[in-house]
Amino acid sequence: MPSPPPDWVKALKPSGPQGSELLAEERAQSNVNVEKLSELLHTKEALQRTQKILAIVQPEKVFDKSQNHSLGRVERLQRSLAKAKRLQQLAEQEKWTTEELHTANDLIGEPTPYGLHATMFLVTLREQGTPEQHKLFLERAEKYEIIGCYAQTELGHGSNVRGLETTATWNPDDKTFTITSPTLTASKWWIGSLGRTANHAVVMAQLFIGGKNFGPHPFVVQVRDLKTHQPLENVYVGDIGPKFGYNTMDNGFLLFNNVKVPHVNMLARFSSIDKETNKYARPAVPSLVYGTLTWVRSNIVLQAGGVLARGVTIATRYAAVRRQFQDRDAEPHAGENQVLNYKMVQIRLLPLLASMYALHFTGRGMMRLYQENQKRMKAAASPGQDSRGAGPEELRAGADLLADLHATSCGLKALASTTAGEGLEVCRRACGGHGYSSYSGIGPWYSDYLPTLTWEGDNYMLTQQVARYLLKSARAVLSGKAADNDTARILRNYLNRREKGASFDVLEEDADIVAAFAWRTAHLTFEALKHRDAEKRSWNSLLVDFWRLSTAHSQYLVVKNFHDAVTSPELSSALDQDTKSLMHSLFRLFALHTLEREAAEFFSSGAVTVRQITLTRTTAVMKLLDEVRPHAIRLVDAWAIPDWQLDSSLGRSDGKVYEDLFRRASQENPVNDLVFDPYPWNNNVLKNEPAKSKL
Amino acid sequence: MPDFADKLRPSQPDGPTTLAREREQSSISTEELGKHLLSSDGFLERQARILPIVLREPLLAKDKQQNLSRPERFKLGLARAKLLRRLVDQHQWNHEDHKMAEYLVSDVSPYFLHLEMFVTTIREQANEAQRAHWMPLIESWKIVGAYAQTELGHGSNVRGLELEARWDPRTSEFVLHSPTLTASKWWNGSLGRIANHTIVVAQLLLPKAGSPDQFVSHGPHPFIVQVRDMDTHQPLDGVIVGDIGPKYGYITMDNAYMLFNNFRIPHSAMLSRYSSVDPKTGTYSKPAQPAVVYGSLTYVRAQIVHHARLVLARAVTVAVRYTAVRRQFTDRDSNGTGPEMSVLDYPTVQIRILPLLATTFALHYTGLAMRRVYENARQDVERGDFRSLAHMHSMSSGLKSLCTMLAADGIETCRRALGGHGFGGGSGLIELNNDYLSKPTVEGDNWMITQQVASYLIKKMTAAVEAPDTPGADETETRFKLYIQNRGGVSRQPGYRVLESDQEIAKAFELRATVLAYDAYEQRVVKKRSWNSLLVQLHKLSKAQSQSILVSKFFEALSTDINLSSSLKAILWDLYRLFALYTMENEGYDFFRCGAVSQSDLDTLPTRVQDLMAQIRPHAVKLVDSWMIPDYLLDSALGRYDGRVYEDLFNRAHRLNPLNQMTFNPNYWEQEIVKGSGDDGSDILSKL
Repeated sequence: MPSPPPDWVKALKPSGPQGSELLAEERAQSNVNVEKLSELLHTKEALQRTQKILAIVQPEKVFDKSQNHSLGRVERLQRSLAKAKRLQQLAEQEKWTTEELHTANDLIGEPTPYGLHATMFLVTLREQGTPEQHKLFLERAEKYEIIGCYAQTELGHGSNVRGLETTATWNPDDKTFTITSPTLTASKWWIGSLGRTANHAVVMAQLFIGGKNFGPHPFVVQVRDLKTHQPLENVYVGDIGPKFGYNTMDNGFLLFNNVKVPHVNMLARFSSIDKETNKYARPAVPSLVYGTLTWVRSNIVLQAGGVLARGVTIATRYAAVRRQFQDRDAEPHAGENQVLNYKMVQIRLLPLLASMYALHFTGRGMMRLYQENQKRMKAAASPGQDSRGAGPEELRAGADLLADLHATSCGLKALASTTAGEGLEVCRRACGGHGYSSYSGIGPWYSDYLPTLTWEGDNYMLTQQVARYLLKSARAVLSGKAADNDTARILRNYLNRREKGASFDVLEEDADIVAAFAWRTAHLTFEALKHRDAEKRSWNSLLVDFWRLSTAHSQYLVVKNFHDAVTSPELSSALDQDTKSLMHSLFRLFALHTLEREAAEFFSSGAVTVRQITLTRTTAVMKLLDEVRPHAIRLVDAWAIPDWQLDSSLGRSDGKVYEDLFRRASQENPVNDLVFDPYPWNNNVLKNEPAKSKL
Repeated sequence: MPDFADKLRPSQPDGPTTLAREREQSSISTEELGKHLLSSDGFLERQARILPIVLREPLLAKDKQQNLSRPERFKLGLARAKLLRRLVDQHQWNHEDHKMAEYLVSDVSPYFLHLEMFVTTIREQANEAQRAHWMPLIESWKIVGAYAQTELGHGSNVRGLELEARWDPRTSEFVLHSPTLTASKWWNGSLGRIANHTIVVAQLLLPKAGSPDQFVSHGPHPFIVQVRDMDTHQPLDGVIVGDIGPKYGYITMDNAYMLFNNFRIPHSAMLSRYSSVDPKTGTYSKPAQPAVVYGSLTYVRAQIVHHARLVLARAVTVAVRYTAVRRQFTDRDSNGTGPEMSVLDYPTVQIRILPLLATTFALHYTGLAMRRVYENARQDVERGDFRSLAHMHSMSSGLKSLCTMLAADGIETCRRALGGHGFGGGSGLIELNNDYLSKPTVEGDNWMITQQVASYLIKKMTAAVEAPDTPGADETETRFKLYIQNRGGVSRQPGYRVLESDQEIAKAFELRATVLAYDAYEQRVVKKRSWNSLLVQLHKLSKAQSQSILVSKFFEALSTDINLSSSLKAILWDLYRLFALYTMENEGYDFFRCGAVSQSDLDTLPTRVQDLMAQIRPHAVKLVDSWMIPDYLLDSALGRYDGRVYEDLFNRAHRLNPLNQMTFNPNYWEQEIVKGSGDDGSDILSKL
């Protein structure tokens, strides 16, 4: 690294007021109880866990982050594997719980090549394996004696799982399956941890028995030798190359040339082949297979708030430290204005600040729903439980709730990840020029997060499932056969009041805001139903309408969940009056800002009037910005993201933005170790060094 | 390695078959459209001439560049920039030829600032003697230069720059000094490792008349300064200069930091075409018309606007070709029979890509118009007429903001429409996205500069209100006056007939921009609301105004053209309608509130947009073909002209991927990382 700067440089300070002073003023002007709010968001236990793990990982040299953005792909992956190994060693040594290991991974902040082993491989074995298979695979996998991944997506097929081309053909003679890739597009692709690390994979393949296709099923397949780590014969496997982000992960490709695996390698908890009769046994509860995916999506929603919080924390702190221009209406010599005081910065950052709270509370709500569902499914699965006298809703609810959860998880996953992903880019741009530097901490984070918008179901594709569910619910409501759930309720309410009109007081009543979002969703649902059922329009021609409908429905759910959270007894007992009312302001800011952006739909559905929209835009939202502004720094402080995790010059909690940017540029930047020859007629790139053929 | 993979083919119908069908089903002549778009300034001829030369050079092959570390990638960038400059001599290229080669290679050149802002600033702001001294040195590459304005603490607010240039009357020198850390120059391209000279913008401090110990700032001024030794290439004493580190993109550019410690430069260093300091008396004389100084910034913005079309066209080309080849799911209404559908046949994909396809054309015509306005204003200024400057400045600011946003967001929208493969290096959109995302915040932050547009329009509206019945001095004023005259008339029109008349679409956009301008005038001038409280509204005004320009330039270009064949013209009109109505739909509420469109038309817009997309869909592949972007520039497995998407993705993954030449040791209890290397992990730790 470059030699330290001369004394005259070391002596320089940023022009005043210093970042640290500005942040101190910010914190002084707000009475938000950061500690209490943090505990409400994360729980005391989780906050302590973070501190404990941080103290262990931060001092370890192998976790140093300073060179992350300067390294080439090959070296990054090597380091990433070294980090993954060290984490696993620490987990063993310190006897970490799963949550503690998770926390360590979060703090490191990069995907590692063990990522898919630790998540999807283990989860799939656990959920879809029989006790025999648990013994054979899961126990060894938990000890990392075998390392695996989850190979579903192919070069030619992602969203359409039924279209997968890899086949697994049952051989009745020797009781094996033959795994084959009939085409190039059948190659597994994007499979995390597979490229260079895993020696096993759960492979999703079309199951063929006696020439008949039974659809995609999971098989455990060994792909590399446990000693040499070379691919097994007739297995072609490797890393797919550099990507937008996620470059510390070895996403892989995988082809099979008629590879045989024994009968026991088909994960058989839900569907299986009888060895003797060669008969296929159907899954008892087909929808349970989708349980994993639903869990993954719920997690994405919960995480989306935290993902966005990183960007908002950085941008908000930086905008409080950064000063640019005097206010046009200010006295001369007033000094430059903090960028965060500009309305056009506030309108970008503060609604996102509200969004991260909204997503967080919504994620919490969904996780609760998921766990409830798991409980009920388990109860339904064991006979005898039915007689315990559940209410009428619960008797029927098994299927209803799953449908509700599935539709909900699809739509919300799409909305939440899009909000977080796009929100990060808004934050980056709100940081102006310095946002473009990797030291801002936003760009690399954004790049790593972006695949979430397209995987586990492309966000646009997913919206169809929501629409299908809403149309079905609407038909049920019209025929009087609907279940007694929230979706049916808002649809019925709309039908009952349609003639009278809505007349919601969105500017004064929080509950009316929720009602207006429900109204718009119901309106769009019946419009779509009219197109599909009465006008008989093709499914394909309605996809854009469905996408809008799904977005509207998911926005309603977020608004509703946020409202439920700010009016909950849990929040009331945790927070003081001022902080509580600030939470209400955040709710209104999120909801009204969303309403204003989607004004045309709210207006044409009759949920609100033109006058209300104009007032929302010009007065209500502006007033809310003023209300939230003084508390902005404390509201991001409450998210309690450690500086080491943020890894951002701009977002440091001490406000030493410029010092840190300068330190990194001059001391941690390998380009400054090199002296270049600038002249075009000299072939050599470096001064006094011959031209290398390596380039 | 087993070789069974080599024999595998993609499932049918494959990419080449699909793209051939796509091209058969459209009657568009890509040659005609390509010429219409790109031949007027010799672009196509130049591209055809330069491309083969570039393709011959192994150094310019793009195969593995995405795997390199920052230092390696920067070295490669410099080696390429050198080679291109040598090719200039070898093939007698002119400046445009050189730029074409750079465009095709698509690295941000570490020589960029030398070739553009450095030389432009000397040309425009140096006096004759200075020009005579410096121009030969620059043109013969005896010196390599950069341009250093932005600082760590100040970007948009140029007046707030902290670097000082203090006049020392005893020695007739200026003393450059950075009083604080935030005074460090920052982001200055080509300066971090490459340039030995640079333009430096610093606060000019001159002794106060009567009290020579006190200094008065005369604002930021440009100086030319040598910063590195010509032999050793090391920074001179009193100068600290280096590269600012890794960025989102611009990996081949050495953006700089730079500090001065009482560094002395001669009187002749101050570029003195407009303002100057008398070397004997230390008196300052300043230009009659200060706006001239901003001329080069306006030039850069106009360039950015003009360039946006080709940037977006690249992304749209990849998106259209790949979504035509990619198949996923059978049609739900087809009972699950038949082949899977081309992804481009899904309206949810169309609504993301086809309006952007239309946007490339909108950007094209506005880019041309912006160029004309710039050329005219330049000629006016040369003649001493400065009246058109304000208009040009406003137009270039607003369009820079809107067009870079459309292109930057458009690239990302296209990338996401590619699904999972869009995230891979083979999409060709990663580096494009990374590099282009600098644009919304450089050369005037996209949100900041919209204030300039709003200010200008409020001024114009104020003039219109004050004298509504006199003739307007220009188009904008005339439009505003007409609006004032009709305002408050009893019969408020029900809106323009945007579904029937192409001209009325343009009118609707104008009316909306006018009404927003009037609202802003009313809030600021009549009600005296604070500027800060209006910033969001002013941003919307600027956007509305710039959208109106995009629509009317598109309309004018199609209405006045007499050369295009009628079949092609019909498709271009559909693209015009799609761009305009899609934009209108997104901002529907605004148009309705302004009385520019009726509610029933507003309700019909989604259907109309979908119909237009269905009409354009069969021509999509040929329309992107017409932008004539070579495969070499696209560098995209997904966007290849021949549609061999999957073959190329696979080739990149296993043949061009250095990671696959290495076997790893996956066991966590063993420190070794690369299998068989016995590295014990220490290799990695030693580099930390």
